[in-house]
Amino acid sequence: MMNRALAGKRTSFGAWVGKNSTSIMPVAVILVMVFVFQMINPFYLQYQGIVSLLYSMSYFLIVACGLTFVIMMGSFDFSVVSVLKFSALLCVIYIEKIGLWVVPLAMVVSILFGLVNGLIFTKLKVPSFLATLGVSIVIEGIALIMSKGFLRMMENEIFRSLSVTFILGLPSIFFWAIAVVIVCTLVSFLTPFGRRIFAIGANAAAAAHSGINVTKNRIAAFMLSSFLAGFAGILYMAQMGGGSMAIGADMTIPLFASVVAGGTTLSGGVGGPHRTLLGVMIITWMQTGLLMLGIGKDVQVVVFGCIAIIMSIFTTERRKIKIVK
Amino acid sequence: MKNRVLKQALPSVLKMLKAYPVILILIVFFVGFTVAFPNRFMAPVNVSAMMRQFVMLMLFSAGPSMVMTTGSMDLSYVGIWMLGGIFVWLLYPLIGLAAILAMPLLGLLTGFMIGMIQAKARIPSFILTISIMFTYWGLTAMLSGGYPRTLNAYAFLTAKLIPGIPTEVLWTIPILVVAILLMKRTTLGTYFYAIGSNEEGAHMAGINVTRYKILAFTISGFFTGIGSIILFQHLGGSVPVELNLNTMNWPLVAIILGGTPLMGGSGGPQRTILGALTLTVLVRGLNIAMLEPEAIQLLVGLMLIASIVVGARSQNKGGMEVA
Repeated sequence: MMNRALAGKRTSFGAWVGKNSTSIMPVAVILVMVFVFQMINPFYLQYQGIVSLLYSMSYFLIVACGLTFVIMMGSFDFSVVSVLKFSALLCVIYIEKIGLWVVPLAMVVSILFGLVNGLIFTKLKVPSFLATLGVSIVIEGIALIMSKGFLRMMENEIFRSLSVTFILGLPSIFFWAIAVVIVCTLVSFLTPFGRRIFAIGANAAAAAHSGINVTKNRIAAFMLSSFLAGFAGILYMAQMGGGSMAIGADMTIPLFASVVAGGTTLSGGVGGPHRTLLGVMIITWMQTGLLMLGIGKDVQVVVFGCIAIIMSIFTTERRKIKIVK
Repeated sequence: MKNRVLKQALPSVLKMLKAYPVILILIVFFVGFTVAFPNRFMAPVNVSAMMRQFVMLMLFSAGPSMVMTTGSMDLSYVGIWMLGGIFVWLLYPLIGLAAILAMPLLGLLTGFMIGMIQAKARIPSFILTISIMFTYWGLTAMLSGGYPRTLNAYAFLTAKLIPGIPTEVLWTIPILVVAILLMKRTTLGTYFYAIGSNEEGAHMAGINVTRYKILAFTISGFFTGIGSIILFQHLGGSVPVELNLNTMNWPLVAIILGGTPLMGGSGGPQRTILGALTLTVLVRGLNIAMLEPEAIQLLVGLMLIASIVVGARSQNKGGMEVA
């Protein structure tokens, strides 16, 4: 009798784990990782350590949320890092001339880049990764002409307070990031726009047949992704207080790895910003932990490259894809 | 008499221009820069610089342009070149001159690995190869300790043979000939084109699509490995440890500019020659024009977008679904 009840319990627990494995795995990885880092380095979870963990994850999380929408839709946005760099440099270069108006200006310019991405992708029928790759080369060129390659320092204290004000002992950029994740998650699950994005990711042709304006929603997703990248750029500049063309130089692979490690699949239709929160925690906390141990950038690139490849192998739904290019 | 010759020649010239519109751009750039800077553009220094740039673009893009005909992409070339270089530097004290074989071997294995992952696990090749490129760069930085490593043992490979022509150019010719023959004269090439133009159709016709896709990536990796041997000396026999993201995409621009469509099905190395020539003339010309280096990058980016759009539009008439 008891045995049977136990067995029943076990199978139901097993079933629960199996059903939620994509959510449980990242959480387990985070717990193990934090435990290991804390064992090696006792400063990892002290107050200073936690603040640096939050600083490293916040702007990253905002960009990753935007990228999640695009990947959920089955496309790819290569230009987010360039948009982040552009918006950060725009802020630092023009703040002396036009004051705090740089913030809305940077946002508008970022949205425009997203619009360009979306238009090239949908109207001209160019695969999204190539369209955004081309656009990102152009954005980098404009950013280089604008900044002349110099390191610029941000001296406006009001602008910097956007990110470095401490509320309840935590930096304000963290609250921005959490707000973005919550809003993005709500948008993707509770609004018609979010549902349409999932539908397009699951099967674009079927979505079009059931009356969804695929083109319009795709452009909107690219604009959202670019907007969030630009917003992250503003907060990044406020956090760091300066920067050059080197901003975000090796962000592309960790970004992609964090979205995929969270459980948003490259094949589209599955995942969401709440999953990306977990992925970003894995990647950026590992980054910071390795840095605290004095392990360099080169090792990190190898680790994240492997995570990106292995996680995309595990999460891709192969049944759905007939042809892969 | 003259009229008749013109009448006969004109249609074929027009036909060629229609098939290879990039020739027109090449001629415009070439004539434009020659007229604008008559003394400097055709000066021996610049011609030899152009040849060197062309060699670099061509050796990096020969293999990937074969993959492109199947409709996939291979962006791992920079990674193979960097990691291969550091392997050569590590192995040279142990096994002598044979160490250079590390490069084609690494290329072969990398290509095979990419092909297996892409075809079996169904990961989009673009993202996969970019991840591998970054991973290889990280490995290079790890193994080299972060310093550029130089090795002059292979200087004989690029010793001067004919005055005025860099020996690297001579090496490039047989590699290109083999690549073009492979695409144009063998069943393998025909299968690649078939897979690129209609993968499902090729499968129905009995072609083992998975096997030939893996083969395409493997061959591409091998060609990149062979090319890396020449590039190793060409760029001073040193192993680079800094990844230059701006120039990393230029071989890709050369392939697309040459007219190999993104979805595959036609094109190949012979077209990439034209693309590489055009890009070389453009970049060297802009260099001479004393533009800011930033502007060159911007123009190359615009060129890439323009050529992608033209290529995608001319091909995608059936309203194919793009992601």
